Amino acid sequence: MGGTPFSGLIDARERVTGKIPYTIDIELPNMATAKLLRSTMPHARIRRLDVSRARLVRGVFAVLTGADLLERKEVFPYFGPVFRDRPILAIGKVRYVGEPVVAVAAVDADAAQEALDQVEVDYEELPAVFGIDDALAPGAPLVHDEPPKAGHTFADIILHGHPGTNICNQFKLRKGDIERGLAEADEIFEDTFYSPPLQQVPLETHCCVADVEPGHVTVWATSQIPHMLRGNLAEVFKLPTSRVRVIVPTLGGAYGAKCYPAIEPIAAVLALVARRPVKLHLTRDEEFVTVTKHGGRITLTTGVMKDGRIVARKSLCHFNTGAYADIGPRLIKNGGYGTAGPHNIPHVWVDSYAIYTNIPPAGAFRGYGINQAAWAYESQMDVIAERLGLDPYEFRMKNLLTEGQTFATGEPVEDCHFRELLTMVAKGIGWDAKTRRTRKGSIVRGKGLSCTIKSTVTPSTSSATVKLNDEGSLNVLTSSVEMGQGQKTAHAILAAERLGIPLEKVVVTSPDTDATPYDQQSSSSRTTYAGGAAVQLAVDDVRAQLIRLGAGLLAASEDAVEIAEGRVRTKAAPHRGLEFGEVVRKSRSGDLVGRGTFQTKGGLDPETGQGVASAHWNQAAAAAEVEVDLETGKVRLLRYHGASYPGRVVNRVLTELQLEGNVGFGVSQALFEEMVFDNGQLQNATLADYMVTSTLDMPRELVAHILENPERGDIHGIGETSLPPVMAAIGNAVYHATGVRVKDLPITPEKVLRGLRDREAADRAEPKTPAAEPVR
Amino acid sequence: MTPASEAVPMRRLDADGKFELTLRVNGGEHRVRARPHHTLLEVLRSELKLFGVREACAVGQCGACTVLADGKPVSSCLVLAPMAEGKDILTVEGLEGPDGELDPLQQAFVDHTAFQCSYCTPGFLLTTKALFAEIADPSEEEAREYLAGNLCRCGSYVKILDAVMDAKKRVRNGAAPR
Repeated sequence: MGGTPFSGLIDARERVTGKIPYTIDIELPNMATAKLLRSTMPHARIRRLDVSRARLVRGVFAVLTGADLLERKEVFPYFGPVFRDRPILAIGKVRYVGEPVVAVAAVDADAAQEALDQVEVDYEELPAVFGIDDALAPGAPLVHDEPPKAGHTFADIILHGHPGTNICNQFKLRKGDIERGLAEADEIFEDTFYSPPLQQVPLETHCCVADVEPGHVTVWATSQIPHMLRGNLAEVFKLPTSRVRVIVPTLGGAYGAKCYPAIEPIAAVLALVARRPVKLHLTRDEEFVTVTKHGGRITLTTGVMKDGRIVARKSLCHFNTGAYADIGPRLIKNGGYGTAGPHNIPHVWVDSYAIYTNIPPAGAFRGYGINQAAWAYESQMDVIAERLGLDPYEFRMKNLLTEGQTFATGEPVEDCHFRELLTMVAKGIGWDAKTRRTRKGSIVRGKGLSCTIKSTVTPSTSSATVKLNDEGSLNVLTSSVEMGQGQKTAHAILAAERLGIPLEKVVVTSPDTDATPYDQQSSSSRTTYAGGAAVQLAVDDVRAQLIRLGAGLLAASEDAVEIAEGRVRTKAAPHRGLEFGEVVRKSRSGDLVGRGTFQTKGGLDPETGQGVASAHWNQAAAAAEVEVDLETGKVRLLRYHGASYPGRVVNRVLTELQLEGNVGFGVSQALFEEMVFDNGQLQNATLADYMVTSTLDMPRELVAHILENPERGDIHGIGETSLPPVMAAIGNAVYHATGVRVKDLPITPEKVLRGLRDREAADRAEPKTPAAEPVR
Repeated sequence: MTPASEAVPMRRLDADGKFELTLRVNGGEHRVRARPHHTLLEVLRSELKLFGVREACAVGQCGACTVLADGKPVSSCLVLAPMAEGKDILTVEGLEGPDGELDPLQQAFVDHTAFQCSYCTPGFLLTTKALFAEIADPSEEEAREYLAGNLCRCGSYVKILDAVMDAKKRVRNGAAPR
């Protein structure tokens, strides 16, 4: 390749001309349009469901209910990534407002809507639970009468059920001796932090096109996880997985929303019954109730020595997983051990629960439990620092993990850069213990820090196939998903540099499970790291074949042959040799097919949570400066310095975009985003009522610090890494500006104003209170 | 878009509840069929297969389906198809030159990688075209304000603004806008 490494997206032209294909653009002959009737009740028995008039509407091909599914012997009507607790369409009961009850396929959307308008449903309302306390109260109504049934799932999943309760799953971690640790501590801090349920808001909502022939299912889906979707659909249709084909075009954003099966089983069974292809494309308000981020309540009891060393942390975590488990049983593990943070703590105890309630299912969301955990521990770090009279930067530096120290799971952390990252952002923002806040009229400014750690799913498996063609070009076949992170570009770069051919000669296919090999999931910041490693191993396989065949063609022994400068040559006569295409042609190989599988090892003990949680650690730090209007309570993010550790940078501009994008993703989580429910009914399912970051909300100074370690050469995931520190950095900056500690996200003007009033009242009552340092 | 005084003439609906209308899109005239409640967004996609026009909210809150109507940015999800008759509609498909050369604005987006998933990109491009037509020399703050109705959930805003300000310079330095 030579010269400057490629930076950007190889499909940029298709992206600016509007030609890049998304699932919504797939159209098949005779394709029907699907629409869903959704539950209006949070928890109810379906007393009567009459679809007879809907079936008579002109242009309607199929009307399907949960009861119909039960009658179809060829269909198993439940699905889910861990538990098979979710009916394709409600069966007997509904468990949240928005649950699909009836599916219609019709000639167009108007006819489908007309049919839905003809459906009559009578519900018998049942008592419901919405929040964590409701669900855990003695005698609380149960969201699921029977314990959920687990099916084939991921290797890292640990299950601790609590039958007869709304606890969907529990994760436990026991490191050291928590009682001793807390007994030895000079000071103990107990604080509870809350993160609300959120929406991922991919601009492209879920879409699925299904084409089902007897014994063969094909879907085009907005999925981050083609092979698990194939497995779930094979289970639903009672078919060998080989008879299910999942094709995934480019995604218009995902952020975890498209990780696990949601609408695809509906589209597929509807196509079966309608006997024609079906397209199901969700509206925005439907997307809001399809999958969400877990609301989380985390209580941290942290024991600290007077000198600022953290010696013990006890975490009690409750995650609201909604009506169906989705991936909640795994998320509580990450969100649980995640509460220990990047700190060297000898005694750690975690109980983390996924709780069933009657709100929409919660699943994967960029950051995967770590956002909730980091909001808690990084906010508490500043609470503790202030009480101990330590500078928040110094207090963190004292406790951040260094090379070889052990994480909460007992594993030593290698390739450890937290202190460098925190120092980078502190310098960038101009951190100075004495000038953390300034005031001008009613406007105050403050700065805040945070530093976070995130795992990548371990153990995990990715495979890739490459085909070297007879003129030297290369096709890469992988089931990794392009969702804007630049997967195709990153994999093409890795393949091209490994083989030593120009980038233009590499084409990366989109996932098609009939052709592309297994990849566990395009999530957990693992696509460049793990999917990319599989691509490199597949290229190595081709390289070995080139050596073997080249040696034969050059009449040399294999160890006398090398690959260099795009040729196979003998070491003795490097100026001669064969181009790769020549080797393929002269050996009459047709093409050379290479295969690579990358596996990581690990796993945690189910009782102690000790073991290996992550093949490597994703590390980030942030420093924010905010402005708060004391008259209105409004917070503006002015400046932001973020740092992350990608190890080796594969594509510079995409590395920056991940960090900048995470700031955009995090600003609105810190300040605006919250799904508001009233008796289980979502109140703000529009982008006017549910605010996400726009150009105006971005900080005017945003610096992406990229810490590299090219000598070591490891690739660390960056997709999620820099998101978890955003919210706490902003929250800490707001505190330093105003003295108001908001513990429940988002940091709304109302909460800031209430905090200011409470502080004034406290000052009047007890003027010398040390906690209320006056704003200068 | 149509003032009350120039009421749309009564039209006979066919057995399918549709009627014929003429849309002028990207310089060409197109006869299409639609029901009276169908939006410009639906018709551009379903009849003309202009897939660069994308639904994301369908209620005018995200900017993803932005097209230009007589040079003004509109959310095509909020415009009923018959109301677009007589207007010059420009979609992202109309930005390229006859030989496929990119508009300087598109080229600036490519050069700055001003997108990730790029679902929002056509909307940003067309809104920026309107910005340049409305304000000869926009400041970065003016660009921020103008683009605030276009959402990019991937958060590529830093690079988008870089591309917009760079494109402004390129156009002023003689690159021909389309």
